[in-house]
Amino acid sequence: MREYQEKYIRNLKEIFALNAAPEQIPQDVEAFARERRERRAQARALAQENTELLRQELFPLLDDVVSASGEEIASLEDFAAHLVEGASQLDMVLSYYLHNALLVYARRWDRRDMLIRELYQTAMALFYVEESAVRVKQYPYRTKLAMLFGEAASYIKRYDEIEDQETRGYIHRSMANLALVYNQFTEEDGRRKLTAIRRSLRILNDPAYQEKSPDLPWDLYIYKSHQERTTVLGLLRAGIADPQMLGEVMESAGYVYERQRESSLARGAEVSLRWRYAYEAAQYHCGVRPLSYLLGWMESAYMDRDEGNYSDGGLYQNMFLPALYAVYLEENPEFQAKKKEVLSLMYRRISAYVRGMPDNLLSEHTMQRLLGCLQSFIEYPDGVQEKGFLLDLVVCRNLDVFVASRMTGEVARMLVDRALDTDPAYLLGALGCETAEALLARRDGLRRFAMEAGLLHNVGVFNFSNLLRRLGRSWLEEERELYQFHVDAGMDLLSRSPSTQPYVHAALGHHRGYDGKTGYPAGYDRSQDPCPAMTDLISAAAHLVRLLEDRVFLFNQPMTLDQALERVRAEAGTRLAPKAAELLWDLRPQLEAYLKDGELWAYQEAFLLLKGKCVWQGGS
Amino acid sequence: MDVKALETIWSTADLPVVVFQKGRSTPVYENAPAAGLLPGGLFAALPAPEAQALREAVEGLGDPPFFCHLGGEVYSAVLVPQGEFLACLLHRVTGYYNRTQDALNEAIMASKAKTNFLSEMSHDIRTPMGAIVGLTDIALAHLDSSRKVQESLEKIKVASGHMMSLLNEVLDMSRIESGRISLQEEPSNVADLLYEILIVARPQAEGGRLEFCLDMGPIASENLMLDAVRLKQVCLNLLSNAIKYTPTGGKVELYFAIEPGPEPDQVWMDVRVRDNGIGMTKEFLTKVFAPFERESRSVVNKIQGTGLGMAITKNLVELMGGSIAVESQVGQGSLFTLRIPFHKAPASTGRWEALRGRRVLLLEGDEKQARLTRDMLESLGLSASWARDPDELVLLINDADLDGVEYDAFLTAEKLEGTELTLFLPEVRRRLGAGIPMLLLTASDWSQIEYMFTRSGVDGFIPLPLFQSRLAAGLLAHAQDSAAPEAALAPACDLRDRRLLLAEDNELNREIAQELLGEAGCAIECAENGRMAVEMFQGSAPGYYDAVLMDVQMPEMNGLDATRAIRALDRPDAKAVPIIAMTANAFVEDVKNSLDAGMNAHISKPLDMDKVFSTIDSLLRGR
Repeated sequence: MREYQEKYIRNLKEIFALNAAPEQIPQDVEAFARERRERRAQARALAQENTELLRQELFPLLDDVVSASGEEIASLEDFAAHLVEGASQLDMVLSYYLHNALLVYARRWDRRDMLIRELYQTAMALFYVEESAVRVKQYPYRTKLAMLFGEAASYIKRYDEIEDQETRGYIHRSMANLALVYNQFTEEDGRRKLTAIRRSLRILNDPAYQEKSPDLPWDLYIYKSHQERTTVLGLLRAGIADPQMLGEVMESAGYVYERQRESSLARGAEVSLRWRYAYEAAQYHCGVRPLSYLLGWMESAYMDRDEGNYSDGGLYQNMFLPALYAVYLEENPEFQAKKKEVLSLMYRRISAYVRGMPDNLLSEHTMQRLLGCLQSFIEYPDGVQEKGFLLDLVVCRNLDVFVASRMTGEVARMLVDRALDTDPAYLLGALGCETAEALLARRDGLRRFAMEAGLLHNVGVFNFSNLLRRLGRSWLEEERELYQFHVDAGMDLLSRSPSTQPYVHAALGHHRGYDGKTGYPAGYDRSQDPCPAMTDLISAAAHLVRLLEDRVFLFNQPMTLDQALERVRAEAGTRLAPKAAELLWDLRPQLEAYLKDGELWAYQEAFLLLKGKCVWQGGS
Repeated sequence: MDVKALETIWSTADLPVVVFQKGRSTPVYENAPAAGLLPGGLFAALPAPEAQALREAVEGLGDPPFFCHLGGEVYSAVLVPQGEFLACLLHRVTGYYNRTQDALNEAIMASKAKTNFLSEMSHDIRTPMGAIVGLTDIALAHLDSSRKVQESLEKIKVASGHMMSLLNEVLDMSRIESGRISLQEEPSNVADLLYEILIVARPQAEGGRLEFCLDMGPIASENLMLDAVRLKQVCLNLLSNAIKYTPTGGKVELYFAIEPGPEPDQVWMDVRVRDNGIGMTKEFLTKVFAPFERESRSVVNKIQGTGLGMAITKNLVELMGGSIAVESQVGQGSLFTLRIPFHKAPASTGRWEALRGRRVLLLEGDEKQARLTRDMLESLGLSASWARDPDELVLLINDADLDGVEYDAFLTAEKLEGTELTLFLPEVRRRLGAGIPMLLLTASDWSQIEYMFTRSGVDGFIPLPLFQSRLAAGLLAHAQDSAAPEAALAPACDLRDRRLLLAEDNELNREIAQELLGEAGCAIECAENGRMAVEMFQGSAPGYYDAVLMDVQMPEMNGLDATRAIRALDRPDAKAVPIIAMTANAFVEDVKNSLDAGMNAHISKPLDMDKVFSTIDSLLRGR
């Protein structure tokens, strides 16, 4: 690797460390807040340095990559590999850029083996880039992925001409990974995935190929293909299946289960719950067992849990199994009432389990498991409410996002107060109030709503925490596009349950310009919002907090309150509603007072929630 | 004869009779029916003008009125001399009168309509004529400014085109009214017909900023026996009206289908033209097909028209054995429905055999269009794999690659929702390789989009609406083109190394034709009349002339006779040399006469040079 490349990677790792959650909940909140500010400043400086490194060293080379020397190409390959570095995925988007450049080079100079390898690597980098979007049901690179994997796989026709076994391995892996492209929750995609796996397995199981390339890890390839095929269980759960699909999934679930059992026996351990579930679920979906059996089996597996086990297996059993259980109830409403008590118990236990987590489990993995629960959350009128679940357990687990959201909520609450004091009619429609008098009578409710909307408006960001934590340079277009999906993700999460639905508009509309032209998403429609003025206030509050210090985009320089308010005034009528901007401007003294300690209070509140010492009461 | 004798004669008559002394208007006798009908006397019972006229007639001073109104009835007064008497017989003719009156009213209305029409026509003709005269003056006054001259000429072209269409309509109507119109049915391809309709109608709709939708129904047969010129005229009349009477932002829809007919060799052509324009009143709907009628509403009056189009349309449709119907509501729009029977024409499909068994990959987001395309491909013996989006296309390409399937052609829609095709197609081209023809299905003018799409790897286009013949020809051409790509790039009309004989008696016309044709690179030799043309042809070596452009009206020998004379010559190229009539005689009979005389094509004057070139080009291609 070149010096700048090594430096870049060192910086990335440092930024990753600086952005890490504290290993323990700090006792001295003030010191922590100070240190966190310093860390952000350091990370910001490193990100700027990295941006310059790429601009000066890498991009000129990528501009004319076909003329690059062999040495330069080798350094790019090395750099790309280090950016991924095992599973740490330091910078997947840049890795994608590099592989794409190498692909161009390979095409230009007709380097077939390199071409096959780079087709595979480019596709894999893109696949990981897309992963966070897939979690929010967006598939921006699907066609490109299919094209890349497909082209690499098509070299199976020229298998015998390719002597290098590693290159042959890329052909097999590409052929198998075509199945990864088809991950939408539709029957069509399920069929495509199964077709891709069927075709891949036919070749992987063909002794002729195995004899030609004896050094390739055939068993691993076959095992991975079966493993991928079990993911179609998701479709089976949704009732989309035919006998061929059922048979194939059952075969793969059985295959993986047997392999896991053999391996576990050899280690003297049990087969992991994940694969036991896959096996049992396949039995149900293939008609061998009824749903009541599967639910009973899941209940029994859940009862075997250890609430002190915070390993991956423990998280699966304590958090993911209830999420899967809820999916079956959602798809079979006749069981919803019957199993209400069971599911409610599970949700209560999840709360206890999460509150009991050791301090160092502010991990992304925990967050993903929590989001998994939310994605299938069933809210009973007298049961655990999704809003409470979110406010008590989820939002506090990303400290930076929590602090920004908490401050947004507080500013929004001030704006509501100011609006009610000066022009209550501005908020007509909020909480269903149709007169100024009704609004004034519900001041407390409106203040609370503003605060909670502030806390919840950015929940979609949690889907992108991996991306944000690794951000170590200016954003590339792909990242910007991906990040914009966070508003859709927020809407998706909040629209599931009656308790969270009123906050959907704040989640969807907080980045959309008042003029309907700027910002995103274009799909936010003010006419569908029962109180666009309230969304305008949340949006203005969030914008101000971001201007003061952007905890997401580290390369945005913080502003003073005066600078931020000037910007707000300049953006009145375009980015912000004129009235909201005016109210913010009028609040200058109160804002100044609040900002002295606002961040500190927010951290304190987060720590209390994380320690399980309190539940959300509507803020201080 | 005395009064007694009169009483004997008339007392038993059923009709009222009043008898006068000749030259006197005082009655001397009236029978019972007359007494009952005329209690106060004949003249008192009649309206004053009629009484006066009858009185004068009785007195021998004039003719009796044709009709006399008595009570609610109408009578005819007939004066019958009887010796020194004059009997006035009153025949009741109320029914006859009413019928006569209706006819009279119609005649008056028709006359009035014609008068109005003539007055409007004279205005309509005068307006473009004024423009032509004025613009010609402007051009002459600015001969040193080519921009000014060009501008004037372009405007003159528009004005003269409009005047020509006005005159054509008037002449058509006059021929229809005199029963002198006949259809020239010949084997025609409906794809060509529709294409020619659309290239006129679409720009008109675009010009009016209207949405134009084509809805294709089934095409039971593409080759029909029909008069393409007249059918095109009918369809364009309906479309032009729809476009004319639909305000900006509106929508015009054309439905076109060829349905199976009652006999195996028959079909029905169904055409529907629907618009959401200004519509018609109920009153006007009853006379929409009457000649010279235009609705009298302020919105209509602003729109140019002769009021002849619909009458011509209806007459032509009926001449073709079809029917036309209209539904309309003011402010809602109109729907014209045509249903015309045709006989199938023999089609030669043998050359499509080469396509059998080939595989086509189709990218088309519109399900209906995709189904239509696939059905056509399958009926041609090809198999088609359809992708509705890029995702599916890549899946199919991957499947083909991995399953060892090879495609022979790739057809793609021009637009696909959510996809920038000009960026995606190069990737497809890379995957498919250079050898597979990539063809664009498009309703656009290819010349406008060619540059953009050829850069994306597209080899050519197949025009929409899609017809089997065009699809097959496109696929065949490009399958062959891959062997000889230069052929596809040949210019539309290249007359270099060609020699034409131009028979034209008008010196100015000769000069114009020489100049314009000369630009295409050919050599031209001129004859001033038909006889000279025959002599020049006769005196040349066989194959010396590539084609003959023949005026029809010429001194000494007209073009028709000259053509017959050339065809009758005993030399190898006499029958084969293309002879093209160029004449102002544009009627179908004239066309027929030209063709009967042995000419290959007929071009109307004033010459549209594009048409001249395309005609020459099509006749010379392959020679």
